[in-house]
Amino acid sequence: MGALKELNKYLKKYKGTMVLGALFLTASNFFLVWIPVLIRRTMDEVESLGNEGFEVPSNIVQTLFSTEASKILATNSLILIGTVMLYGVLLFATRQTLIVTSRKVEFDIRNDIVKKLMNLPQRYFAENSSGETYVRATEDVGKVRDYYGPVIMYSINTITRAGFVLAMMFFVNPELTFWALIPLPFISVFAYWITGFIHRHSTIIQEQYSTMAGRAKETFSAIRLIKAYNRIDYEQQLFENESEDYRKKKLRLDMIESLFHPALNFLIGLSLLIVVWKGGEMVIEGTITVGNIAEFLIYVAYLTWPVAALGYTTNRFQRSLASWNRIQELMNEPIEIKDAEDKVDQEVKGHLQFKGVGFNYPGSDEMVLKNISFEINPGENIAIVGRTGSGKSTLVQLIPRLFDPTEGEILLDGKNLKNWSLSRIREAIGFVPQETFLFSDTISDNISFGVEDASEALVEEAAEKAQVKENILDFEKKFKTMLGERGITLSGGQKQRTAIARALIKDPKILIFDDSLSAVDTKTEDAILKHLRQELSGRTTIMISHRISTIKDADKIYYIEEGQIVETGTHEALLAKDGRYTAMYNKQILEQELAEI
Amino acid sequence: MSNKQDSKAVDTTLIRRLYFFLKPYRWFVLLAISLTLSASYLGTIRPKLTQIAVDEYIAVDDFEGLWWIITLLGGALLGEFILLVFNTYITRWFGQNALYSLRNTVFKKIQTLNVQFFDKNPIGRLITRTTSDIEALSELLSDGVVAIIGDLFRIIFILYFMFSMNWELSIVTLTVLPILFYATFWFKAKVRVTFLEVRDKIAQLNSFVQEHINGMDVVQLFNREEKQRKKFEKINAGHRDAYIETIFYFAIFWPIVEVTASLAMALIVWYGGARALMDGVTFGVLLAFIQYARQFFRPIQGLSEKFNTLQSALASSERIFGVLDTKTRVIETDTPTAIKDPKGKIEFENVWFKYNEDEDYVLKNVSFTAEPGEDIAIVGATGAGKTTIINILMRFYDIEKGSVKIDGVDIRDLTLYDLRSHFGLVLQDNALFSGSILDNITLGHPDITREQVIEAAHKVEAHRFIEKLPESYDYVLQERGASLSMGQRQLICFVRALVYNPEILILDEATSSVDSETEALVTESSRLMMEGRTSIVVAHRLSTIQHADKILVMHKGQIRESGSHQELILQENGLYKKLYELQYKDQVLAE
Repeated sequence: MGALKELNKYLKKYKGTMVLGALFLTASNFFLVWIPVLIRRTMDEVESLGNEGFEVPSNIVQTLFSTEASKILATNSLILIGTVMLYGVLLFATRQTLIVTSRKVEFDIRNDIVKKLMNLPQRYFAENSSGETYVRATEDVGKVRDYYGPVIMYSINTITRAGFVLAMMFFVNPELTFWALIPLPFISVFAYWITGFIHRHSTIIQEQYSTMAGRAKETFSAIRLIKAYNRIDYEQQLFENESEDYRKKKLRLDMIESLFHPALNFLIGLSLLIVVWKGGEMVIEGTITVGNIAEFLIYVAYLTWPVAALGYTTNRFQRSLASWNRIQELMNEPIEIKDAEDKVDQEVKGHLQFKGVGFNYPGSDEMVLKNISFEINPGENIAIVGRTGSGKSTLVQLIPRLFDPTEGEILLDGKNLKNWSLSRIREAIGFVPQETFLFSDTISDNISFGVEDASEALVEEAAEKAQVKENILDFEKKFKTMLGERGITLSGGQKQRTAIARALIKDPKILIFDDSLSAVDTKTEDAILKHLRQELSGRTTIMISHRISTIKDADKIYYIEEGQIVETGTHEALLAKDGRYTAMYNKQILEQELAEI
Repeated sequence: MSNKQDSKAVDTTLIRRLYFFLKPYRWFVLLAISLTLSASYLGTIRPKLTQIAVDEYIAVDDFEGLWWIITLLGGALLGEFILLVFNTYITRWFGQNALYSLRNTVFKKIQTLNVQFFDKNPIGRLITRTTSDIEALSELLSDGVVAIIGDLFRIIFILYFMFSMNWELSIVTLTVLPILFYATFWFKAKVRVTFLEVRDKIAQLNSFVQEHINGMDVVQLFNREEKQRKKFEKINAGHRDAYIETIFYFAIFWPIVEVTASLAMALIVWYGGARALMDGVTFGVLLAFIQYARQFFRPIQGLSEKFNTLQSALASSERIFGVLDTKTRVIETDTPTAIKDPKGKIEFENVWFKYNEDEDYVLKNVSFTAEPGEDIAIVGATGAGKTTIINILMRFYDIEKGSVKIDGVDIRDLTLYDLRSHFGLVLQDNALFSGSILDNITLGHPDITREQVIEAAHKVEAHRFIEKLPESYDYVLQERGASLSMGQRQLICFVRALVYNPEILILDEATSSVDSETEALVTESSRLMMEGRTSIVVAHRLSTIQHADKILVMHKGQIRESGSHQELILQENGLYKKLYELQYKDQVLAE
């Protein structure tokens, strides 16, 4: 029940509206129960008028408008219409308060989740699959919304309506009430069971659906290969297997779903049948009137939906709670990378020092970095080389505090990174990640991502420095070209260069390239590097690369192997050492020498 | 006006074509229709039975008669229940079967279309065609049409019973119908618009979240948390408001339905009461009418809902048939020949090709010959036409002018199956599938044995690392081989190419995505692989191709130079020489 309390916290803001909505709903049900009463009263009065030997005019118009009976009929009907109208207006008001509030609460929850996501450290994203996080931030919120909307509304509705209707029924005839109510609990239980079953199986079907779509995706995205190897029939078979599985699973659900409406219909019909039967007997015995049967038939009809809703609501409520718990897990994630209390907030000069830094990813014992110590002076240009998986990327990710070292410390301008203002550090760093990520936005928005209100000229300048301006100008909409789902897809090299422009436009004190030129051809690379060397003198640059051409002019080169720095020096010095760097260099040059012979 | 007529005509052909998939089950469809007919009758006769119970038995204190009519009522109820269950299941059953065969047909069609089609249609769209578009048809092909028929019958039966009991009262009761009709159609029109809006907002919201989960490091690196959060808030507010608008229409519509139903009851009581006084109407009839007034609304609701889903189903089916009607542009010959004794000779003769009508030629007058066993390397800048040569050779596309021959036979005279069985292809994105290593190598070919796979793996030195995997060849790859290194993935692709024992090997930039360490390993393996085979290697890095028998230097769709490395390096002002110097400049300087 702790979760319920938490859920209701979000309602605090809307307490007034919710109470008002509950009142509207209660009032609407209050008016609703008078409808059958009025019908019964009219019928009873007509009957007694008939028994009294009322003189009936031969003309229907006269009967309706100018007799004593007409007054009774008209009054009753007008009251009935008035009641119905009130009921309708209140129902409208209920939805406009309760359901609208649920959407507002959903809005608040979504904002809170995204705010949380924005501040979560990269550790979280490394530990959790993006799919799972996505579901929490989207689908789960929708399910929690069900609590604030349908669950609360139907609960109030069921309680108040059942209260009024049952009271009225008991007041009229307890015995008939008892009989009429017999099938109702079954309706509740049945609705609860079947919605649960449907939900479980829908999940299974949804999974199978994804598998099937995944199958199609694999085939279609490797179509050249499949055609080349003449494997079309085999792929067809694989897809048909999934397709068949899907059909079977769907039919299993269909079997139960086929029961759903017919069975509800049956149980409701049973209630009505009992009313006619038992009520009929009572009329014959003279305990009640035919008007009472009419009244009861309507009461039962009023009750069946709320009663079915009870089962359905219970199910939804359980799902809301489960989703809420998953969201809570996300919301309770610790944010360990944040500003210190009295943070250092001053101009960054660009001096970096690693002191015995070690790092392992959460949930893994393996140290990715071991005892790394080195120093970079402001304006220095260093390079990091080593095999794939040696820890190079991890090392540079520690500088903007995407992760914090598990051992040792990193000093920026002589002060521990952890004591700095986080935004200050990141402000000062231009980072080009290994895997280029661009947003589904215009090229211009992507380049100016990290700066406030960048002018067009500034964006173009950055693009030019990154050697991507020409490509962009080739597009029909130039810098306003949309990328991603609703736009075009850039080639790998274009993406990388756009990401470089995005980093350059910040005019950063420290520039980090994590193998950011791998998809760029050597000629373009040359041009980019030339620019960097000219314009960025005085900035600290750190480059990771596999290509000798990229790094050989660095002030210092670090060769990393299994998380440790094994060689340090300039290109010439390292070559003179005749160690691993030389081996790597030789491999790149070997074929050339062979060819020269 | 004429436009509307056209769409009608389109609709009927669409329905006829959809019927094709239902045809095997036509007797079941007929059965379902007769079941729904009977169920409608049993469902609507119940108020009539109540009337009989009240007027003919209760009114005359006939206990036995009441019993008898209650039994009848119970029978009708149970009968309706059973018929409905059967009917629902049968319609779902044939619906699922029809969807199943439609889905497989679409998948097959897409697979057999030429590669050009895949260039033009993003993968996501193709997946939509085979999955969600088909899903959208489920109502149309299963209970949709049958339910419409059922609803129509229900309305007819109700009208029949009402009029047969009392036509005057029927007309009075039905005066509320225009309100209901108007409200329903007004509501549907409004809600359709807002639902589209909602769907759009949901898509925006979800893609924002998706994108920002994936790119959160970029957001954080660029201090954009606050900005992006505000951006999200705006999208989120749009989402909320779209829903609130929808709620408004629902909040008006549902009360109107309820109020109209009660209004009908008020009319029945008022007019019927007066008629009852005049002995024109019995209480049983009043009771029946009160029930009918409530029963009437459901089929009308159902109809308006069904028409909407059918409308969107037709839109989906239009898209599906759009795919099914696509003509493949690579057409097999009706009178294929076969290469008797395949050696692996390749000839390109004055080949001209462009991908799209309105574009420039990608290949201009390309001619070259690869003798059996020769290694041909193709170099050139991106877009020079290197990959196009491969695409044409494997007949992913057809050329415009000139001819391509294998062992002297024009490739257009071979079946696609036959042609492609002569090649082993390794692509640059080293495509692996989810599945075991063995499956990834054989691609499900039943004639390739495990021994053959192991032998091939030995040849390219892949056996060593595969053996070390948890279940060696049965190791199941997750997420397309993400657990393997780049080089390992590449080697698996090599084994795959080798195990099919092709005469011609094609490596399309097969080594461009690996680092230079791994590259050495892969280069060695590829050299082993090429022994005794004709091979075509497309590469970015010159280092990988220097041993080629012949190097073709492509530039803007033309072969500008060709010859061995030694020959080309000596050509003054040659393209190859320039490329070579550019790539190795730094190393040369360092010497």
